[in-house]
Amino acid sequence: MALTIISLIKQVPLPSEMRMGEDGLMDRTKAKSIINIDCQFGLEAGLQLKKQYPDARLVVCSMGPRSFEVALRTAISMGYDEAYLLSDRKLGGSDTYATGLAISTMLRHLGFTKDAKEPFIILAGRQTSDGDTAYVPSQVAENLGIPQATFVESVNADGKGYVIAKRIIEGGYQMMKLPIPCTISLTPTGIPPRKPSLIGAIKARNLPITVFGIDDIGLGTEKIGINGSPTIVVNVVNIVSERAPIIMSVGHDDATLVNNLISNFNKGSNVVAKKEKVEKKVSEHPDFPVVDIRNGAKGILTWAETANGEITRPSIEILTPARNLADQLGNDTKIMTLLIGKNVKHLSQTLFEYGSDEVIVVEDDRLEEYLVLPFSSIFAQVIKERKPEIALFAATTSGRELAPRIGVKTGSGVTADCTGLEIGEYINRKEKIINRPILHSRRPTYGESKLATILGFVYPQISTARAGTFEVPPGLIGRKGIESTFKPILTGDEFKVEILKTVRGEGSLQNLFEADVIVSGGRGATSDSLGLIKKLAETLKANGVNAEWACSRVVVDEGVAEYAHQVGQTGKTIRPKVYIAVGISGAIQHLAGMKESEKIIAIDHNPKANIFHFADFGIVGEYQDILPELIEQVKGGFTFGIVPVKK
Amino acid sequence: MDNIDTVSTDILIIGGGPSGLATSIHLADALKEKGLTHRILLIEKGSSIGSHILSGAVIKADVFESLLPGVDFSEIPLNAKVTSDATVLLSEKGAFKLPFHVPYMNNKGNYTASMSQICRYLAKKAEEKGVEIYTGFSVSEILYKDGKVIGAKTIDTGVDHNGQQLENFQPGTRIEAKLTIFAEGTRGSLTKMLIQKYKLDQNKNCPIFSLGVKELWSVPEGNIKPGEVYHTMGYPLNLKEFGGGFVYGLNDNKVAVGLVVGLDYEDPAFDTHDAFQAWKTNPFISKFLKDGKLVEYGAKTLPEGGWYSIPKLYTDNALIVGDSAGLVAMPALKGVHLAIISGMLAARTAALALSRNDFSESVLSQYESSIKESVIYKDMYPVRNFRQGFENGLITGAIHFGTQLITGGAGFFGKLKTRPDSETTKTLAAFKGKPFSERFKGKLEFDKVLTFDKATDVFYSGVGHDEKQVPHVRFNNPASFDTINIKQYGATEQYFCSSEVYELHTDKNGHQELRIHFENCMHCKTCDIKSPGDGITWSVPNGGNGPDFQNM
Repeated sequence: MALTIISLIKQVPLPSEMRMGEDGLMDRTKAKSIINIDCQFGLEAGLQLKKQYPDARLVVCSMGPRSFEVALRTAISMGYDEAYLLSDRKLGGSDTYATGLAISTMLRHLGFTKDAKEPFIILAGRQTSDGDTAYVPSQVAENLGIPQATFVESVNADGKGYVIAKRIIEGGYQMMKLPIPCTISLTPTGIPPRKPSLIGAIKARNLPITVFGIDDIGLGTEKIGINGSPTIVVNVVNIVSERAPIIMSVGHDDATLVNNLISNFNKGSNVVAKKEKVEKKVSEHPDFPVVDIRNGAKGILTWAETANGEITRPSIEILTPARNLADQLGNDTKIMTLLIGKNVKHLSQTLFEYGSDEVIVVEDDRLEEYLVLPFSSIFAQVIKERKPEIALFAATTSGRELAPRIGVKTGSGVTADCTGLEIGEYINRKEKIINRPILHSRRPTYGESKLATILGFVYPQISTARAGTFEVPPGLIGRKGIESTFKPILTGDEFKVEILKTVRGEGSLQNLFEADVIVSGGRGATSDSLGLIKKLAETLKANGVNAEWACSRVVVDEGVAEYAHQVGQTGKTIRPKVYIAVGISGAIQHLAGMKESEKIIAIDHNPKANIFHFADFGIVGEYQDILPELIEQVKGGFTFGIVPVKK
Repeated sequence: MDNIDTVSTDILIIGGGPSGLATSIHLADALKEKGLTHRILLIEKGSSIGSHILSGAVIKADVFESLLPGVDFSEIPLNAKVTSDATVLLSEKGAFKLPFHVPYMNNKGNYTASMSQICRYLAKKAEEKGVEIYTGFSVSEILYKDGKVIGAKTIDTGVDHNGQQLENFQPGTRIEAKLTIFAEGTRGSLTKMLIQKYKLDQNKNCPIFSLGVKELWSVPEGNIKPGEVYHTMGYPLNLKEFGGGFVYGLNDNKVAVGLVVGLDYEDPAFDTHDAFQAWKTNPFISKFLKDGKLVEYGAKTLPEGGWYSIPKLYTDNALIVGDSAGLVAMPALKGVHLAIISGMLAARTAALALSRNDFSESVLSQYESSIKESVIYKDMYPVRNFRQGFENGLITGAIHFGTQLITGGAGFFGKLKTRPDSETTKTLAAFKGKPFSERFKGKLEFDKVLTFDKATDVFYSGVGHDEKQVPHVRFNNPASFDTINIKQYGATEQYFCSSEVYELHTDKNGHQELRIHFENCMHCKTCDIKSPGDGITWSVPNGGNGPDFQNM
């Protein structure tokens, strides 16, 4: 009974050379391609498992144009044994829902079903750099009806038919035990992908790759491609940064540089000259009949995620767009919030105060910690009964696996990591009708350089919203709502995954959202393992400033800091009053996570570091020399303009 | 050793430049003619063929007719045919067009070209002929058995800075070959070991080099015509420094500009990249680039020791071709056609060896004798003393060259010797010339429009290296490096390196150390050539690392 390890990979354009077609869809013809970075980590995880199971068969699968064969051959040259490609023009324009469906259909065709006799493990990357949703692994798992763990950093087999996965969560991690078969998606923080070997490349050169069309695997066209997908991209615009030019410190020694920084900071940053907004030409609004395709669906459903017995901040934040959407929909649209857990009922009042009209409580001792299988099942049951038109989730590590899994159950498209949610319409010029009202979900994409608007046509329309993007709504003490209970039907199968351990560290995510000053270290600040970064944050704290330390992705990759301290990349935008970037070059994902900060100070030895283009104040110098000076200044009472709270 | 994978082949060619590719193509043809089938493996360290290829280039294209008989000449991706060709003498602001051609510098009938493109084309031809090409693999070790070469091994990957195996360790692959052909290009790191092991340089002049830096620009229509070719002398070099600039007009409003400088200069603070930037500010040059855009940047060394510096090019089971063999004709600085011819000659010898199943020196020596009857001899022997004549500067060099022209290359002094480039740099104390920063005062502030700092230029080479690996440049003697290279020579590495690999860092207490940013390395190997004292050794990094030249 040999184990099969299946890696799902996608070929993506090199991030620096992203190009887009006129229609807003990815144009893959113009750019150099690589295997998506996260998928490379998935490939490596498979090769690591092979060390435990020397007899394991390593299979790599992809879906996309024929040119994806290059990526498959690279996987072979790294050590994989077989390669399959699903390639069909009819798949063009597929969204995540359709992609998950197509890939799982291919896997079933290859014999990898829930009830297969031979054991298998599906590995995938957490998310792709061109799509950035993190949804497909969940959708594949749901389509196959097997358990999953996403955002996993390392994966081991326990030798008794189970997989032990370390899943990254906000502020810490969970150790999970999954039965085989299962699907695991890997973060790019585990063991880095190996290089191909020459012997592997020679093998890859001659190995035939099996290419399937949709007919070969028995996949119909009704739910795939641009016409079958439940969501479409309607608009893509460039994101333009609007920060005023930086003020660099001048001086020939570290003390002068720091003094100069402080005096510049106190004087204030440059102000960007306001450009007159050019009136956009409004294209002619056709006089088509308005069609409401909601078919009776009504209301907005949100999820109240809990951690450490509290409702998490991102779950409260989404009540802000939920309220806006309810207001825009009018007609007495209600916000319903689903609260699941053990002894969580008392948290309803908080939700009422922040804007929920109804809290649907599900209590079960087995549901103390979030688990994707029972939670998605409960959601599907609630949705079936209540028929909401919109379901919103915070784009946390849980929200981003739960929402797509629910979407497969309801047939809905799911929009990922949104930063804007509005009610609008869709002018269908082909059928000469206007769909209204319809949810417009906006999300940054293509490495944060573009903002895409996505519409869904299946109800409920499901979106996840990027944490930190929306403000916490103003609470209304004593506001009342309806509390109801819901009794879901749950089977033993839904509890097949066991959480062995949950570790939530001190501080981290929550603190990053709330801190006034964040001191963040990049690759260029790791020679003392972020010692000076932490010390500056500590010194600020000791002086009554709400400060926290953070870091860039590479620092987490190198194992210097926990994932929870990472700024950038995964669904997390922070907006402190002051952000101090030390030794951070300014990768686009990092900038996306912090560019909303009120004031940005950059310290780096490289005067050409990209970060200086996005900062208000800058010092060129070695952080080992600059930070001690700055720490002394803080001890002397400098608090970056934050009024200290005396303890 | 047991768990290391081994591949067997008849022929292993290390390097996918013009010489290696020509070897593979001509050998495949020769074998087909003889009705033989043998496996030919060609391994290239660049991520793709052409990504590590840089040349001016104005090339003698007729060589392709012999390499690819029957192929329609128009199919070869040459650029523009040379339409005008002039040598220009520059001062800081002035320019004087010489009314005649410097001997050997006539480019009539030649073509401008991007060698990256041509190599990609040649690779396609080679694969069509059955050659197996693998790119992105670095060959880091020569394999020996009973004192003879038996192949080579690719580098182990997945190791940390100290060479310790990481979890993603991937052992290199052993390639056992009947005949290994070294086509690594200039200052080949394995070729260097091979030459040392078998003393192939005995009784030869030591190799000397020059460093060429090049930028490719996209310019407005009308700045320069395709095929318009200029070579410059004078500014920014002084009479003691050997070298010159070039401007080649290409199709599609592209222009290649570059500066080539002999590495036998004395000034420890001399910076070829910066001098090149200063050169571009001369109005004669800047007019070609006006309102244009930098597209690519790169650097490469050229072996220019000439005929007397060519090592013995064979030993049992091994041959050396192209730049690795030092085959560049001076003063025209043309090596591409010689690289291709050497590859073809090596291929004929290899075919003979395969047919006799004898790869010993007795058969392989035929390669060297065939060189003596070829264009290589014809182009290189008459100028065998050319470069050495310039060791003491342009004036004596010109006098030497004059006498050589009269005497058929011998000159009045017989065989002129060379001195390693690493020995010509003077210490800070001994160097009496005008300091580099004063020579180019006001020219070293780069405006990022016409002139660029190194970091910006390096960005335009597309360079990248895996972070986790043993640094591929190494101080041969870290202890003496501080006392000699930093203290006595003022860390000349930080200046001669045109990709900002070496940074002199001074801490609070005034302690200085030379930091290595190997991730910027363009694989020009100047550090291996020019570093004084105990020097620096350049070896191959992980495969697929290095620059990513598109059209250089």
